[in-house]
This record gives sequence, structure tokens and C-alpha cells, in this order.
Amino acid sequence: MPETNPSHKPGNILLWIGLIVIVLAVLSNFLYYLNMPQAIIPWINLLLPLIGLYLLIIGVKRAFKQPQVYSGKIWGSIVTVVAVAFLSLSIYGAIHARDLPPSKGAPRVGQKAPDFTLTDTNGQKVSLSQLLSSPVGNSPRPKAVLLVFYRGYW
Amino acid sequence: MAISVDPPDVSANLCRVANYTYTFLSDPKLETIRRYDLVHPGGHEGNDISRSAEFLVDSSGTVRWENFTEDIRVRPRADQMLAEAKKIQ
Repeated sequence: MPETNPSHKPGNILLWIGLIVIVLAVLSNFLYYLNMPQAIIPWINLLLPLIGLYLLIIGVKRAFKQPQVYSGKIWGSIVTVVAVAFLSLSIYGAIHARDLPPSKGAPRVGQKAPDFTLTDTNGQKVSLSQLLSSPVGNSPRPKAVLLVFYRGYW
Repeated sequence: MAISVDPPDVSANLCRVANYTYTFLSDPKLETIRRYDLVHPGGHEGNDISRSAEFLVDSSGTVRWENFTEDIRVRPRADQMLAEAKKIQ
């Protein structure tokens, strides 16, 4: 048991580490802008708040069970409530981000891509077959076309 | 080229702001998106949208590479798509 001094309580270090981990969890959303393997980032987004919350709960428990030794009853409680809110958002975001249709009927590698005609930003009609057969630069026609379907609502 | 439900003026604004120079196509009725089985029902505030997906189609119209993310935050990077495109002779 740590020595007690009525005039001075040692810092509740777990509370501060937990708070720092929670802040890192929020900042981890910016990892998508860095050149690193993207697949692990959602797990970092989820694990960091969990670790931060665990540390905060331990810190708050210490503050309430050993108030003569550890400080942090008020601030620890406030930060833990904020951390729970962050964790809830993180879990909701992770579930929402992975809630995608299976797209079992989408064309697969080796299959023909269905042709289509859509309107470009100039109001002109553009078809896939047209793009695949139109000359590009010095080539009689492009070797390939990349179709990027995105969610929109920008 | 990029395809979404956004109308042409919205896509044009995005191209201007982000300085994109490639083709953006609009599919507000989700006709092509549905044909490719990419509709995400209620995916944006209750509105049907396209899920994120990428297809590399060669000059014969055959899909040579595709990518379906399992997490909307995870997308293929430009260098990854370019590397796939360079494989096509």
C-alpha cells in the first residue's frame, strides 16, 4: 500500500494515461490520411478507446475506493463519462462503416462489365463502350478503364 | 472514372474544389449502380446510394481487377490501383 500523506496525494496516473489514450483514439481517425496499411486503422480506432476506458475505470475505482491515497474523484468521473461517449461513437461508427450490401450480383474478375451511358459534369452522355474504344493520346484506344463507384453526397 | 448518385453540378463542384481532372459521371436514378448490384439502401441519411467499389475493365470490356471494401473508411490507394492498371498489357 502506498504511503499516505494527508497534506499531499500522489497523482492518479492511470486517469491521465487513460485520458491521453482517449485523445489518441480521437486522433487515430486521421491515420487514414497517412501512407500506412488501411485495414488495421478501424481496429486501432476501436481498440484505443477500449484501452483508454479500461484505464480510466481503474483510475476512478482507485479514486473512490482509496480516496485517502488517490485523487481524481471529480475529474476522473467527468473524463470517464466523456470517454464512454467517445467509445459509444467509435463502436457506432465501426458498425455503421461495415454495414454494407454483399453485392453478390456485381461483375467479377473475368466477366464482362455491363455497358452503361451516364451524364458527365458537362452534361454530355458518356458510355463505357465509348470510353474503351476512344483514342487516348497516341494510342488507338485505352488499355483499360478504371470504374470508381463512390458514395457521393459530397 | 468516378460514378455516384451526385448530380452533374455537385460533381463539377467537387472536381473544382479537389482539382480532380478525370471523368465524373452521375447516376441519380441508380440505374447503373443497380445493374452493378452496388446499391446501398438508405446508405446516406435514408437515401439509396452506391457502396464503394472499384473495377478495372480492359479494352475488351472484361473486368481484370475489382475491389469491394468491407469498411467504408478503407479504400484502395491511388498507387495500388495504378499498379493493377500497369499489369494490363
